[in-house]
Amino acid sequence: MADPRPIAHEEHLATHHAHGMRYVVVWIALLVLTVVTYAASRVHLPGGWHVAVALLIAIAKGALVALFFMHLWDQRGANRLIFVTSLAFVALLIGLTILDNATRFPLANPPGSAGALPWGGADRDPPKLPQ
Amino acid sequence: MSPSHASDVPVYNPRNYLNSPATGLKSWLLTQDHKRIGVMFLVAASVFFAVGGLFAMLIRIELLTPGPTIMDAMTYNRLFTLHGVVMIFLFMIPAIPSGFGNFLVPLMLGAKDVAFPKLNLLSFYLYMLGAVVALYGMIHGGADTGWTFYTPYSTTTVTKVVPILLGAFILGFSSILTGLNFIVTTHTMRAPGIGWNRVPLFVWSIYATSIIQILATPVLGMTLLLVAVENAFGWGIFDPARGGDPVLFQHFFWFYSHPAVYIMVLPAMAVISEVVCAFSRKNIFGYKAVAYSSLGIAFVGFFTWGHHLFVSGQSAFDAGVFGVLSMFVGIFTAIKVFNWTATLYQGSIAFKTPFAYFVGFLFFLVFGGMTGVAVATVSLDVHWHDTYFVVAHFHFIMVGATVMAFLAALHYWFPKITGRMYPEGWGLVGAVMVILGFNFTFIPQFLLGNEGMPRRYFSYPERFWALNVASTAGASVLAMGLVIVLVYLLISLKWGPIAGPNPWHSRGYEWDTASPPLPENFEETPVYTRGPHEYDEDSYANPPPVAPEPKHAS
Ligand code: HEM
Ligand SMILES: [Cu+2]
Repeated sequence: MADPRPIAHEEHLATHHAHGMRYVVVWIALLVLTVVTYAASRVHLPGGWHVAVALLIAIAKGALVALFFMHLWDQRGANRLIFVTSLAFVALLIGLTILDNATRFPLANPPGSAGALPWGGADRDPPKLPQ
Repeated sequence: MSPSHASDVPVYNPRNYLNSPATGLKSWLLTQDHKRIGVMFLVAASVFFAVGGLFAMLIRIELLTPGPTIMDAMTYNRLFTLHGVVMIFLFMIPAIPSGFGNFLVPLMLGAKDVAFPKLNLLSFYLYMLGAVVALYGMIHGGADTGWTFYTPYSTTTVTKVVPILLGAFILGFSSILTGLNFIVTTHTMRAPGIGWNRVPLFVWSIYATSIIQILATPVLGMTLLLVAVENAFGWGIFDPARGGDPVLFQHFFWFYSHPAVYIMVLPAMAVISEVVCAFSRKNIFGYKAVAYSSLGIAFVGFFTWGHHLFVSGQSAFDAGVFGVLSMFVGIFTAIKVFNWTATLYQGSIAFKTPFAYFVGFLFFLVFGGMTGVAVATVSLDVHWHDTYFVVAHFHFIMVGATVMAFLAALHYWFPKITGRMYPEGWGLVGAVMVILGFNFTFIPQFLLGNEGMPRRYFSYPERFWALNVASTAGASVLAMGLVIVLVYLLISLKWGPIAGPNPWHSRGYEWDTASPPLPENFEETPVYTRGPHEYDEDSYANPPPVAPEPKHAS
């Protein structure tokens, strides 16, 4: 339990088994996703879907980097757990903050922020009537 | 009698970390010994405590009369900002974890050092660098935003916020590195026999603190950087005039700073758990409850930040959610309070200076915590927000609990760190003055706040005069008490009686080694066959003189 060696040892083994191909594949995937990000920004999407799509792609890219370039994929349970926990806290920060914007007295939101998210959020500007 | 009490004449360990391997300045500045690094942190943090205390006295003198007393409004604004920044970032956050934690965690785990000694030294230098950068900003212009740096004011003020933010940013890294070091040390460096259920309670609490340091501090770093960038380049992130959202800043800031209040108070609880066992000569009541509640506090502390935003334009729904979530933090603190109290029951209490501070701590923690629960009630906070009531609330915990614990630690471990004793009589005089002075300072502030005196103003209507005079008088007693403590501790460094390895007959693992400890902590890796707070054997529950019987070395 109190000996750090096994972890280092396993990591060592794991990195040896992973062949270089893996990095190339991940790299290409990252490039592709970058292109997709750009392409998505040119496509017409309703409401705040642009932000959502961009964030989703960014999360996918971040996950690839963390899993393969940073070797999380080869780690044991405890280290994965720690990583997931920290993600949970990021979600907490973003979640309760967005909950605020979404339920706020509309005029307290910055101008132009309405509809930045697909599910809306309280709109500070009066709804546009259909012509 | 058990042989461990045999040492009648206490001896000063001749080969110790203070003089080996060398004594020169260079050997200190380049040391990787966790004990020396801990001592350097303690000295630096104490100096900043004195500086912050000086600012506090100036604030109190200014508030002695309703109008201008010794300074103008702008100076006053800078002064309370500096007071807050110095006290929180330079003293309160590093003092116990980086100071006592560094010194004690390896000793309490039977380890030779922390897991990453070089990183540890780097953490100290980052701390000094951050302090220098922040102090530079304070001397060249200061800042007038308060320690909370609220936007949009902080992004438009002409005072020097950027260097101070940068300083706090750097200090954050010091905090993160120290936390990381303790977590790895606790996981990998425990001596044989120290399973998770024998980890001393001090280490448990420091471990929980470290988790917060690692999880929360990056958010502060990010936030401060965003403010600095907005201040320097005029981007619209938090400033509504440029399309930003100032409440977003408050979310970010408090996501760090509410957990950060537990960075300040968990180490205090760490100290108290040790002190209460040693001075009531009893095993802790409910080891697991006390140990795991530290983790519980660290966890729920992350769910409450919105209670600082009740009147900031946060949605009523979010305010309700945070109000309810805030009520949960009381649970784990209450577990600790009840367990400490139950530990005293039928103990053989030695009313020494550390115990006196424990008594003060308990009162202030409960009073401060309860007023916290009160201000976390949305409807009440609308009345109290930004009044002296809030100031009194957090000083009750930060000064009341954390400074009491810091002083308790200073006295309890003084013999271990220096090999010498402080004068017990003066110790109690100091403790009484500090505790009474503290009450006289802040109880009037609760009353002032409740009557509506807002915080952060340098003048006030005459009806608040009497209570302000009372508060300043109390602060003077408090300051005098602290000066007495400083003086006798400095004298004891050189002339205090020799303490011997374990003057308190404590069962804590750190007392098993010599005082001051060897540079390598232990002659050989210790093997533990008992828990860290076991006073069950009669010879430990009722040792011969419970107090150290000071004898001068021949
Ligand atoms: C345990 C140690 C605690 C510490 C060190 C602490 C510290 C602080 C500090 C520094 C502030 C003022 C921040 C500012 O400058 O605006 C504050 C405010 C506040 N605290 Fe605490 N606190 C503690 C416990 C609690 C608890 C247990 C609660 C409630 C469950 C609580 C609820 C609040 C609330 C609601 C405010 C905001 C009040 C307002 O600004 O209107 N605190 N606390
Ligand atoms: Cu809080």
